[in-house]
Amino acid sequence: MAVLEVKNICKAFGKTEVLKGIDFSLEKGQVLSIIGSSGSGKTTLLRCLNSLEFADKGTITVNDTVIFDGSRTTKRSDAELRERRLHFGLVFQSFNLFPQYTVLENITLAPNLLKKDTPENNKEKALKLLDEVGLSEKANNYPCELSGGQQQRVAIARALAMDPEILCFDEPTSALDPELTGEVLKVIRSLADGHMTMIVVTHEMGFAKDVSDTVIFMDDGVIAEQGTPDEVFGNPRTERLKAFLASYSK
Amino acid sequence: MTFAEITLFLANGFVVSLLIFAVTLLCAVPLGLPIAFCSMSRFRPVKYVAKTIVWIIRGVPLMLQIFIIYYVPGLLFGNPIFAQIDRYILRNFDIPNDGGVLQLLLTNAGGLVAVFIAFALNYACYFSEIYRGGIESISKGQYEAGYVLGMSKSQVFKKIVLKQVIKRIVPPMSNEIITLIKDTALANCIMIPEIIKQAKELAATKALIWPLFYTGVFYLLFVGLLTILLGRLEKKLSYFKD
Ligand SMILES: Nc1ncnc2c1ncn2[C@@H]1O[C@H](COP(=O)(O)OP(=O)(O)OP(=O)(O)O)[C@@H](O)[C@H]1O
Ligand SMILES: [Mg+2]
Repeated sequence: MAVLEVKNICKAFGKTEVLKGIDFSLEKGQVLSIIGSSGSGKTTLLRCLNSLEFADKGTITVNDTVIFDGSRTTKRSDAELRERRLHFGLVFQSFNLFPQYTVLENITLAPNLLKKDTPENNKEKALKLLDEVGLSEKANNYPCELSGGQQQRVAIARALAMDPEILCFDEPTSALDPELTGEVLKVIRSLADGHMTMIVVTHEMGFAKDVSDTVIFMDDGVIAEQGTPDEVFGNPRTERLKAFLASYSK
Repeated sequence: MTFAEITLFLANGFVVSLLIFAVTLLCAVPLGLPIAFCSMSRFRPVKYVAKTIVWIIRGVPLMLQIFIIYYVPGLLFGNPIFAQIDRYILRNFDIPNDGGVLQLLLTNAGGLVAVFIAFALNYACYFSEIYRGGIESISKGQYEAGYVLGMSKSQVFKKIVLKQVIKRIVPPMSNEIITLIKDTALANCIMIPEIIKQAKELAATKALIWPLFYTGVFYLLFVGLLTILLGRLEKKLSYFKD
């Protein structure tokens, strides 16, 4: 059964059409990678899923519940929005940790505010997550005391603390020095091994090939190709994808 | 007059200066916030009204604003409200006649109220611009990181944005606060007996000019104290960087 079903998502900013009818679905426990050149709409798609942006058309269904319907005209309440967002987690390219809080507080802030569990349990869970991303000893440090790779791993733990059904990553390693990407990719890989449902926008082709169940190639607001990593990387059908992949193999 | 007597005479005036300082801060710090929010409002009329008010109040000398607030109610509406306050106090209070602080305050209550209003409005507008700058300098990513975790707008503002804003506005606010204590001297334009008015009084009645320069010591000591306190606050917020 599909956890996520996206149908005919269209989004324009003013006159620029950024998404021109996106359809895909995602099975529970699977990893979907999205690749594509700059400006093809990958970030916009993730932002629509996370209700940071609203599509003009189309529907988004999570576990058979329609959480977004572009044809609906009634106003979305704040409470509804917040509930919708909890289906997804989002890890940003630029980490966006909260600088005034320690690593541990970054992770427990939302669970405590939203009374997900008791403060003690939230803390215990945060410490467990920190252990999973290999940063137990940094619990009481501030974000400015961490490397980019460590900050991104905290951001992953922070997103996981809210138990999202689907975790999205927007180029999680693009802001990192090359020698730091490995530690972050390793964490995402271990999440995949643990059957976390994930959507990963990435420019790390090798990683996408290894870790994904499905790969989507976006081009100019549409899904130009979609398939298993072997199909997409091994046997690209469109010229655009061939050219795109060629630009990475140099 | 002995040196000690002159010092006391000036100190009484400085208490008036400090009172203007304290009341202004107490009113303007919170009042700046709604003005800042209005000037950032997405509802255009609210935004333009707020921006116009800020433009006028920042664009006109504070001394002129004191004159306007003090005299206009009487001139325009035939209701000299501040003089009435004075008359009311004269009738209903036992005003001591010892040249002390209480006498200074009670005999000038109406004018002081006008000064409080003018200063509070003026500084609220300056503060609102500092707040606005601070709020707008926080990256969109901080808000969005809160939203995707399911936090509400007010939670994001209170728990994530506010402290970062405070950290950023402490230095410019410190500047304004230090300017404020010196601006209190403007109150002497409507004869409020703040410290410089007191020194002028000595010049006029005792032909002493040096106390006027001596007032500088009071300001310097107080600004020194402020610098230390504000520096401590800044340091307290230096545990995080953004
Ligand atoms: N808020 C916005 N207002 C106007 N245009 C926008 C906005 N956000 C994105 N766009 C435009 O939409 C297009 C797609 O942007 P998007 O960020 O989704 O691309 P992307 O695939 O993530 O690219 P990259 O690989 O560079 O991150 C771009 O042309 C961009 O300029
Ligand atoms: Mg992007």
